[in-house]
Amino acid sequence: MTAPVTAIAWPARGLAASLHRRVHRHLASIALGLVVPLGLLVAWAAAAASGWLPEQILPAPRIVAETLVEMVRSGELAQHAGISGLRVLAGFSLGAGLGLLLGAAMGLSRRVEDTVQPLFTALAQVPTLGWIPLLMLFLGIGETLKIVVIAKAALVPVTLNTASGIRAIPEGYREVARAYRFTRVQTLRRLILPASVPPVFTGIRYGLTKAWTALVAVELLASAEGLGYLLVWGRQMFWLDTMIVAMALIGLVGVAMDAGLARIEARLQLWRIDAR
Amino acid sequence: MPDSRIEIARVAKDFSVDGRPLRALDGIDLTVAPGEFVTIVGASGCGKSTLLRIVAGLDPAHDGEVRHDGRPVTGPSLQRGIVFQEPRLFPWLTVAGNIGLGLENAPLSAAERARLVAEHVALVGLSGFENAYPRQLSGGMAQRAAIARGLVNRPGLLLLDEPFGALDALTRARLQDELQRICAHEGITALLVTHDVDEALLLGDRVVVMAPRPGRIAEILDVSASKPRDRRDPVLAALRHAILDRLEATQAAQPQTATAREAGRRPAATLPLAARSA
Ligand SMILES: Nc1ncnc2c1ncn2[C@@H]1O[C@H](COP(=O)(O)OP(=O)(O)O)[C@@H](O)[C@H]1O
Ligand SMILES: [Mg+2]
Repeated sequence: MTAPVTAIAWPARGLAASLHRRVHRHLASIALGLVVPLGLLVAWAAAAASGWLPEQILPAPRIVAETLVEMVRSGELAQHAGISGLRVLAGFSLGAGLGLLLGAAMGLSRRVEDTVQPLFTALAQVPTLGWIPLLMLFLGIGETLKIVVIAKAALVPVTLNTASGIRAIPEGYREVARAYRFTRVQTLRRLILPASVPPVFTGIRYGLTKAWTALVAVELLASAEGLGYLLVWGRQMFWLDTMIVAMALIGLVGVAMDAGLARIEARLQLWRIDAR
Repeated sequence: MPDSRIEIARVAKDFSVDGRPLRALDGIDLTVAPGEFVTIVGASGCGKSTLLRIVAGLDPAHDGEVRHDGRPVTGPSLQRGIVFQEPRLFPWLTVAGNIGLGLENAPLSAAERARLVAEHVALVGLSGFENAYPRQLSGGMAQRAAIARGLVNRPGLLLLDEPFGALDALTRARLQDELQRICAHEGITALLVTHDVDEALLLGDRVVVMAPRPGRIAEILDVSASKPRDRRDPVLAALRHAILDRLEATQAAQPQTATAREAGRRPAATLPLAARSA
């Protein structure tokens, strides 16, 4: 049924970007990211050495480092971090999972969106901290509370980004799918799923940050374990070295999680690499 | 499966703009015979894309009727291929993947599919770029991939919306020749929208001149010169003047009241040269 086709010779152009340049740029960006933290560290060490503030208020970096080593050696840090990690894992999985389902339903069905959107937006406006007193009444102050609070924090951005991401798929692409008579499954697999990877990942990354922040908030209020608890405890006991260790760890874990997700995202979107 | 006859009868289309109805098309009557190549020229905004989408079955909310081989068009069909004005390649698929979308629902084996895709990659001159993503292509390359996607499953009717607009002159000439050859060889009926009068005359067995506000047919000219045509044929040059005059007239007048019926039946005799009105 096919006419014999004639190929036309066209000059081929290399597509691979220079690997060397990429590595170079990567290292440069890491180095730049370290400038401010290192500067702060130097300033901190200088302030502590000058005796500008009493040691109980601003312990020297050396003391904090010793505390860190001590807490790592005793297993205390790992224990608190492990508990916090499990809470975030449970709460985030629950919240992000529900958020994906809800967001997909809202993005795919105008009716679901119209039904859910107003209430959802209203509830999402209330900050996570604002939910805690009410939830305490229903759930007590046990693990369930923490996981629900974390889940709620992750749910909101995941839902909203998923829904708006699916909505934002250009009508032109949907028309292509219709023109080639894609079934619903084909449309989902070939169009909606790949097209919503970027917005969904934005939501997930944002949700993870929110979950981690909510963890600290809920542990500050109602916990006897975890990194957030370590913060409160450190402050109350005036063990500022402990507090600084906890703060640093919370920040580092946050950065590491975000970087990990960014890598997964890049893997899923090879087509975005080399983008202009 | 080729030999597609298209009958467009009294087609009209209103859009709602700021709550007020805007008549984009009015009283479109056009019959395209099986294997015929009809080109449409007209100022931008005169409803050319809207008309193609209606014929494709992508816009069922219109007045009047479109029939394909006698059956009313109510939705898209694999027998009606469309090349959109924009490439509309899926950015997450390679060139080959995008062309393959045209075969997604074709009853073919994977090997057959791959062969057809490779053949069409070469046809539009994208060999070496099978695995490139749309972001790595120039506008013209993307449009060529889109043309391949529209051609790959050999529809009986091919609708093309300014398909060569983004291409350089040399590539355009090559693809015009290829398109013409494929359509002739396969007996594909083609409806091609262009803003390039020379292109309309080079490819069209008939040239439909459209007028804006509301979008309607101002004139239909037969191009009797035999195909393939020489771009420098003096007969084409004469027709070119006629069409340009016609287009200028529609731009200058912008009649709000003239119905498409009157406009469509304006006698060809008013034209300076041997253009016969359909
Ligand atoms: N989806 C739409 N909603 C409202 N107006 C539209 C829509 N699509 C096209 N139009 C209007 O219809 C007219 C014809 O558009 P179009 O068919 O794209 O013209 P052309 O392809 O000839 O340039 C224009 O005035 C345009 O603004
Ligand atoms: Mg158009």
